[in-house]
Amino acid sequence: MKTKKVRYIWIPIIVILIAVPAGFYYVNWSESGAGAGLYSRDWSPAAIFAYWDPDDFYKSVKTMTGVYKGKQCVSCHEAITPGIVKDWRKSRHSKAKKVVYCSDCHGHDHQNLHLPTPKICGGCHTTEHADFEGEKRFGFPSHALAMDRALDAKHFVDKPKAEVTACLQCHSVATKCDSCHTRHLFSVAEARRPEGCITCHSGPPHPDDETYFGSKHGQIYLAEGDSWDWSKPLRKGNYKVPTCAYCHMNRSKHQVAEKSIWKFGLKQVNPLTSGNEVKREKWVKLCSDCHKPDWARQQLTKMDTERKHAWKKLYAAESVLKDLRRKGQLFPSAKQRPPYPTDSEDAFFQIERIGFFEGQASAFYNISPIERDYFNMWYFDNLGAYKGAAHGDAVFVRKGHAAMDSDLENIRRNANVLRTLSEAEKKVGIKPKADAFWKHGEYTDYNREHN
Amino acid sequence: MLGSVTKGERRGTRNLRIVFGWLLFFVTSSVAVAGMPPAGSFDNAACISCHEQQDSALVKAWQISAHAKDKPVANCISCHGNSHNRAASKARRDKTCINCHGGYKSPVVHSYAYSKHGLILRIEKNKWDWTQPLAHANYRTPGCAYCHMHAGGHNVSAMIRDPDLLKENGKQIKSIKDATRQVCQDCHAPRYISRLFDNGEKMLEIARMKVREARDLLLQAKKQYTAKELEPAEKRYQEMQSVYLKNVYLGIAHQSPDYQWWYGQPALDGDLLRIKGAINELGRIKNVNLSQQAQCAR
Repeated sequence: MKTKKVRYIWIPIIVILIAVPAGFYYVNWSESGAGAGLYSRDWSPAAIFAYWDPDDFYKSVKTMTGVYKGKQCVSCHEAITPGIVKDWRKSRHSKAKKVVYCSDCHGHDHQNLHLPTPKICGGCHTTEHADFEGEKRFGFPSHALAMDRALDAKHFVDKPKAEVTACLQCHSVATKCDSCHTRHLFSVAEARRPEGCITCHSGPPHPDDETYFGSKHGQIYLAEGDSWDWSKPLRKGNYKVPTCAYCHMNRSKHQVAEKSIWKFGLKQVNPLTSGNEVKREKWVKLCSDCHKPDWARQQLTKMDTERKHAWKKLYAAESVLKDLRRKGQLFPSAKQRPPYPTDSEDAFFQIERIGFFEGQASAFYNISPIERDYFNMWYFDNLGAYKGAAHGDAVFVRKGHAAMDSDLENIRRNANVLRTLSEAEKKVGIKPKADAFWKHGEYTDYNREHN
Repeated sequence: MLGSVTKGERRGTRNLRIVFGWLLFFVTSSVAVAGMPPAGSFDNAACISCHEQQDSALVKAWQISAHAKDKPVANCISCHGNSHNRAASKARRDKTCINCHGGYKSPVVHSYAYSKHGLILRIEKNKWDWTQPLAHANYRTPGCAYCHMHAGGHNVSAMIRDPDLLKENGKQIKSIKDATRQVCQDCHAPRYISRLFDNGEKMLEIARMKVREARDLLLQAKKQYTAKELEPAEKRYQEMQSVYLKNVYLGIAHQSPDYQWWYGQPALDGDLLRIKGAINELGRIKNVNLSQQAQCAR
């Protein structure tokens, strides 16, 4: 008996010994394609990607030869690209005791130039870089992991690369520092102002700009911000009202994800876990720079309540969709339209995806209209209301919830149409006919052939 | 001693310098007065008649531009005011353009205002010296006029495409690209610009594909259904063409990720699938009705 047990123990050990290296091998293999990330074998990059993700895609230009010193770079580029040199002359880099020249970040050899990545900047700016790298432990969403998030998104992998260039333009916040400290001035003051953030933090899924500018904080910033001294660090007493960076990067800590509880707002979270309580106390402490702690706590609770209401509406919509799916009334069904991004058409098991956990965030095209209605409700109106609540813009909260109410009504109405139609079809004994245009058309075909 | 200067000699050279300095001041200031633009207020005809003699190319460039050709006309006074007081520096600022181009929330302005260029300008504009010419990277980021009136060129249409983005004219695009490249190169590397242009061209073409796919669908559907039945789908098609396709174009031209993406590509996707849904729904209703009739006939 005893020997038998010992013999059995070898089975899991051998399985593990095979599975672990095989797993590593598989991940390595899947990341070794022309693209980057988990699906790198499924796509090839556009030439412009080199500038958004230099580590993965940048190759030095070979037209110029020679090895140059910093001063030589400046004297030549003053004529070729005067704007760059003018900016640099105004920067602290040019005025430091030990001047930081072009070549210090880009290299000396013109045949082997590189674009500075956070690692290169981190060579001198060690604290900021260490903070930034440390942000990865908070997981998605974060600045430090933003590029991985984009490259591994299924719709990014699936769509023609020229179409999704804008994704990388913003998600490059992980791969280069000039998203916030624009080249070649690399100003700290610029990054402290909301204007440094809102090129990316705007638009329907994250109207951080509108909701902040709509809040009292933002209104005061808009009225007075131009006259403030932005060279002051982001700490208590230095600014009349907080800006994006004052709260999310307080004391210049390069970890925007540090205190996030509701995160992107795409899934419901329990705001009262012990981990989230710790984060909440960090917020209360921060708000206490100006407000009473109790007042701050109340505001944060208000936001949780808003989220609860929002999720009630979202789940109601999801249940309408899931009910249709259960009865086979979603039209066109998953089989009648192109496969989901990165799925294959002849996959054995195909099911319509509803909600965050089924991957609906990547499915906003090639789907049925009612699923898209839900996507808009969830991804735009819901997230707008969330940001309104988080940034203190009551009008945006009201507008977001009104929009969600009408979305839900609309989804119910459209579900009724689908139900009625499919019942009528059943009665007369015909099957719903999906037209050929769901799977074919100029763009639809092009999309499937070009990753 | 050789090489050493006595006190008296030093005083002598100082006096000489003062005299020479004053002389230089009078000469330059009188020249400046002679070349100064006249004071007073002027109407557009007066501007043209004088400036045609001074710089006929400039006036001509304005005359062939949309500012002169389209109604309402934007003439000299619209941007420069009716006097020579700060006439140039006033016209260079974005505010001058924005008033007529739909205000801050119009897509053409908003797409620029939310680009890195636009936002840096927003926080730094009051520190800049707007008397400088719109060239040689005299401004840290370009405002409207830096690109569209680069180096004082008065043909604002030189970089603007045909408003009908579905019809493209290869020759026109080449001239637009050449003009734009000249401006971007003040600050950006040539290879970066080329790649950005190529990519933008492809991105716009993808947006066009979506619009054309919708157009072809509607053309087919018109054979089977009435205009009234197709009205909702037709409305979406118009929206694709006049709003979202244009947004993609503005996003590329003004380098706004929001307009390339959120107000552009996924919005086009949404309309396309809804057009498909609307047409297919008509088909399903028709099929049900036909079968019902067939059953009744039986």
